[in-house]
Amino acid sequence: MTVRSLALQQPRTRTGLTAWAGIAASLAAVILLAVPGRGPRLAGAFLLACVPVGAAVMCWVDSGEGLVQAGLTLVLSLAVTAIVTAVMIWLTTWQPTALFAFAVIGVVSCAVRLLRGGRPCCAERQ
Amino acid sequence: MLRGAPVRRILALQPGLLLAGIGLWAFGVSRIERQAIGPYGVLASANAWFFLGLAALLAGMVAELSRARPRTWLLAAFLVALIVAIHTTVPLLYGGTPEYAWVYKHVGVAQAFGQYHRVTDTSNIYQEWPALFTTVASIASLGDAGPLSFAAWGPVAFELADALLLLGIFRLLTGDRRLPYLAVLLYEGLIAWVGQDYLSPQAFGYLLWLGIIAIVIRWLLAPAPAHCRLRFVNTARAFLLRGRPTPADASTAMRWIALALVAVIYFAIVAAHQLTPYMVLLGVAALVVLGVVWRGWLVLALLAVIALGYLAPRYGLITSQFGGVFSGGDVFENASGSQGILHKAAELRTGEVVHVLAAFMWLGAAAAIVLRWRSLGRVALPAVLAFSPFVVLGVQSYGGEAIYRVFLFSAPWCALLIAELIAELRGTLRPLVSALVCAAALVAGLQGLYGPAAVYAFTPPELAASLWLYGHAPPGSLLVLPADNFPGLEAANYAAYDFQIMPSDPQNGASWLNEANLGDVQQWIDSLGHPSAYVVFSKSMENYAGYFGYPTGYEQLATAVAADPAWQVVYRNADVVIYRVTLG
Repeated sequence: MTVRSLALQQPRTRTGLTAWAGIAASLAAVILLAVPGRGPRLAGAFLLACVPVGAAVMCWVDSGEGLVQAGLTLVLSLAVTAIVTAVMIWLTTWQPTALFAFAVIGVVSCAVRLLRGGRPCCAERQ
Repeated sequence: MLRGAPVRRILALQPGLLLAGIGLWAFGVSRIERQAIGPYGVLASANAWFFLGLAALLAGMVAELSRARPRTWLLAAFLVALIVAIHTTVPLLYGGTPEYAWVYKHVGVAQAFGQYHRVTDTSNIYQEWPALFTTVASIASLGDAGPLSFAAWGPVAFELADALLLLGIFRLLTGDRRLPYLAVLLYEGLIAWVGQDYLSPQAFGYLLWLGIIAIVIRWLLAPAPAHCRLRFVNTARAFLLRGRPTPADASTAMRWIALALVAVIYFAIVAAHQLTPYMVLLGVAALVVLGVVWRGWLVLALLAVIALGYLAPRYGLITSQFGGVFSGGDVFENASGSQGILHKAAELRTGEVVHVLAAFMWLGAAAAIVLRWRSLGRVALPAVLAFSPFVVLGVQSYGGEAIYRVFLFSAPWCALLIAELIAELRGTLRPLVSALVCAAALVAGLQGLYGPAAVYAFTPPELAASLWLYGHAPPGSLLVLPADNFPGLEAANYAAYDFQIMPSDPQNGASWLNEANLGDVQQWIDSLGHPSAYVVFSKSMENYAGYFGYPTGYEQLATAVAADPAWQVVYRNADVVIYRVTLG
């Protein structure tokens, strides 16, 4: 299945857009972090902390409101980043590069979401 | 073509105002002389371009709001432009140096985590609530840039993120396209002064709290309150919820997922800040008591277990720093703000402005509630969230900061209530009142935010001097500030230094030392038991002493040490002189 056919298959749902945004942000974060120069790396680091994990969750959950969808993507990402990094400090296993796993999680979850089609998980009760 | 022209002109007016507003503001900021900023702050020193820029942005947004079908992309652009203008003015004027001395402490903790990779000081309250600092440290580490390179932009980043969440929450609550933008516009003016959005655990916790509220409102509201065995509770709930709009439906599975997400976000808040978890708990508890939260008592119990489970092993630290969870039940004392602040002249005027603003906000919100007494359910949620934070004043002063947190957590809902009131006005009255109320709130809020800029904002030479100090003073050295207003403790090894403020300022709780007497000062430094000390004098300390009136002898001390051969200048730039004094 090509990316184009995937894109056409996905209606412009909030969860679909979240999934595409999650994949784009995860890839952009990894690319920016690989680019030499402080500015791009810092942008990549912020992107990694602010989008992929939240998108990995919110691509499955439709809030019914685009702004809430975006806001919760940000909040969840930051919350998980905060918890994971705090745990690293408590366990004295400080490895910030482990946050690259967020990009992997983001890409995998969002891609699975796109491949499975438009039916959101936990559909609303009628 | 002739008929279409006026329409096109109207359509182009607001985008034109947006571009003009941004341009005028930017030009105005570039023309403000940093050295000319006095005790009344940036507004008193600003030029006409700066005000015209802000006025164009405000007028354009209100004009767009008054259209029958407002363009949401344009409203969003106006809001972003206003938030950027409000919160980047001071960092731009001060060369991207972080504002507020206490931000540097936060930077130091993040630097320490980034360098030592563990908790190095269990008696440091910041290190025991590390979630924000570890987040910052990880971003700095991955980005190969120190936190100082982005800390100045914390306020604008947090405010933009808060606005995104608030717009979404208000959309969920009102189902309206226009009202959320008006409410957030008002909110930005109301909270501008409170200064709780700098790089700090509380700003981080506040953003996450908005996420929790969004989840609760979207997925965890019950269609009707569960029946209670107490009859009066049912009667009261029926009265308070009369006319309440039907909440969004959600499947049971989705509600459990939402509850799990709330728990994750709440744990991040609990691990980041000491007070915010209890502000969250109060808000959720108020909604549970109202009977509008699905499995409310379970939600509340879950949050309480997380909060208390984290607090229990660290309670000793809270006791030592804040006198325990309950610091006294005197509401008025807890609400009186920071103790020892000496209100005088410019500080007093600015303080009065923000007091009036706070009174306006709460009275306006109360009026909005009273006016809907026939169908209180329409405003029940924002009303409960607006006034439940006051409960914290019954138990904690939080070192004088509790009242600011009450204001902050109350502000979004007050802004929504007031905006709903304005939105009900008809004809030209609505845009007129919108413009007047938002302009008044913005001017008052900006005076509160920018008023002390000459005191709390630091110049690049001041930051350079502080970095020089940590780079050159041997670890273990005594570092002394005659006034508590200088970038300090920002180095990873901040704990390796004995950092002391002269006990000459009642705002710090100790004022027995007379700085005008050099002999007394030297005796006090000698008593600290170090062979020598580094003592810093700076422009912002001078401004601080002038603004608050303390320490009274600062100028005399600065003059006296300059003429004393025992005090050797080891560093000097445009705004700072650092002496090394050897005593004993």
